[in-house]
Amino acid sequence: MNPAVIQGGRKTELSKWCLRVPALLYVTLMILVPLIVIVEDGFREGLSGLVHQISLPIAQHAILLTLWTAGLMTLINAIMGLATAYVLVRYEFPGKRLLNAIVDLPLSIPTLVTGVMLVMLYGPQSALGAFLSERIGLNIIFAPPGIVVALLFISFPFVVRTIQPVLMNLDLSQEEAAATLGAKPWYTFRSVVLPTLLPPLLSGSLLSFSRAVGEFGAVVIVAGNIPLKTQTAAVYVLGAVESENRLGASAVSLLLLTIAIVILMTANGIQKAWEKRYEN
Amino acid sequence: MKSKCRILMVITILAVSLAACSPAAEESTGDQVNLILAAYTTPREAYGEIIPLFQAYWLEETGQQVTFEESYLGSGAQSRAIVEGFEADVVALSLEADVNRIQNAGLITHDWKTVENQGIVTTSIVSLAVREGNPKRISDWADLTQEGLEILTPNPNTSGGAMWNVLAIYGAALRGEIDGVPADDADAAFTFLTQVLQNVSVMDKAARDSILNFEMGIGDLAITYENEILVGRQSGQSYERVIPSSTILIQNPVAVVDASVEKHGTRELAEAFVDFLFTPEAQEIFAQYGLRVVNQAIAADTEAEYPPVNDLFTVDYFGGWEVIMEEIFGENGIYNQAISLAQGDAQ
Repeated sequence: MNPAVIQGGRKTELSKWCLRVPALLYVTLMILVPLIVIVEDGFREGLSGLVHQISLPIAQHAILLTLWTAGLMTLINAIMGLATAYVLVRYEFPGKRLLNAIVDLPLSIPTLVTGVMLVMLYGPQSALGAFLSERIGLNIIFAPPGIVVALLFISFPFVVRTIQPVLMNLDLSQEEAAATLGAKPWYTFRSVVLPTLLPPLLSGSLLSFSRAVGEFGAVVIVAGNIPLKTQTAAVYVLGAVESENRLGASAVSLLLLTIAIVILMTANGIQKAWEKRYEN
Repeated sequence: MKSKCRILMVITILAVSLAACSPAAEESTGDQVNLILAAYTTPREAYGEIIPLFQAYWLEETGQQVTFEESYLGSGAQSRAIVEGFEADVVALSLEADVNRIQNAGLITHDWKTVENQGIVTTSIVSLAVREGNPKRISDWADLTQEGLEILTPNPNTSGGAMWNVLAIYGAALRGEIDGVPADDADAAFTFLTQVLQNVSVMDKAARDSILNFEMGIGDLAITYENEILVGRQSGQSYERVIPSSTILIQNPVAVVDASVEKHGTRELAEAFVDFLFTPEAQEIFAQYGLRVVNQAIAADTEAEYPPVNDLFTVDYFGGWEVIMEEIFGENGIYNQAISLAQGDAQ
């Protein structure tokens, strides 16, 4: 056998492991171990203890509030994020680069600051907040709409930024061909552009949902945090930790974790099925 | 390629070993001594003035220069941090239950109530902050149930201040000091607490957050520490203080943490600092920052600012903190039942 080949083989073997070991060790230490701690803690008093904690009315309400506000936010974010990405890629207009830069801004602002900002803008003491509350009867701050608005702000980049690169790579000639063949713009968008964009739209939306479910900083400022009314799961978990109810904190955290895992795996499954369909 | 690989390996090993060992605590020796103070947030400004006085005193007495490491956190969070390994020499907390937690963890081994005034260094009362001119005409607890009133009070699960608030309302009701609520009638007192909680529009995580929200113009009224109101007014806020005819005396304890002072060799210094907090100089500074002090002479001097309360009670009225934590703030306690009833209807 040629010695050079053997040497080369060894070399790849070695370099393969020298990258894998640190990477796997890193994921284990930084992500997996903390997750295991939560799971173990949640089951400290067995399944019945966990179920008891989750089914307490205050906990249950907090979980449901978190899920529906995050769900509503995801729906709005999916539609508006798609529109924003489309506009940013397909059209030219003054201030486009600035707008493009602003998209990422929510990720770099501490979410606590986001909360304070929203209270100043929509709070009952502001002109806008007072107008909405007195004339239209819509309370945003210290009510569920405030939670949705805060979540929209913090998770805005996720949909835009997952769709943008796919849209950029999308061949414009397909759209042009459809247009030359007499297709209306909306029909072209629906039958040519949307199918390609669905997987990134889905993964972007689910990413923003998962992010929103765990949000604390902005929500604790805008929500009002009243048990059974405006207290979300993350704020409930803080209360549980602070009042020595660690089991309650772990149990609710564990439920949120499970929901996130199920959603991410479903998204993966849908995406795989989609790819298969479009390969043929 | 090989060298890159080695660097990665080395970084990983370094990171792992770094995580494995923790820095060892330094012992105080020679002319320089260090004291770690862990306090709740309210008296921060007062300690900022008291500490330099103590440093001068200690230098004169012993020739040693004291450096201070100060940490200010919510009382409960501070107490938990110490239980989980924060080596504070002296704790100054909002309520006794938080000192008891440290004691139950075995970190305070002496009877911390043997120092002056049973370890209670300052006091305050639960009061009401109302808007300038008192537009809602709030004069006592009974006015808090009026329809449409927006009340701010923090969440008792995260805030010691909020616990004091609930105790003040429930206690005043139970003692028959609220119009329309008969004395010693637990059901009537519970109903009154529920009615007040129905008007709560925001529950912040700490007393400070609550008063800051009030300062932003939110709510008609905030239930809070008297000292928060006085300090706010000193800094130019326009809200006014209403003292209920019956309210609870908030007692703030200080204690030396045995486990920490043994480790740092700072027992003598820590005990001297605790004693110093009871001296007239220190008590006068506390009084300047809105706290009702325990030194009789200073308290008499400042009585104009701190009018006496008609019916003042302490945690002893409920049988102490052990009973309170179980019966009022336990999982099926009075507070949880009341908030469930109060907000459950709102859906």
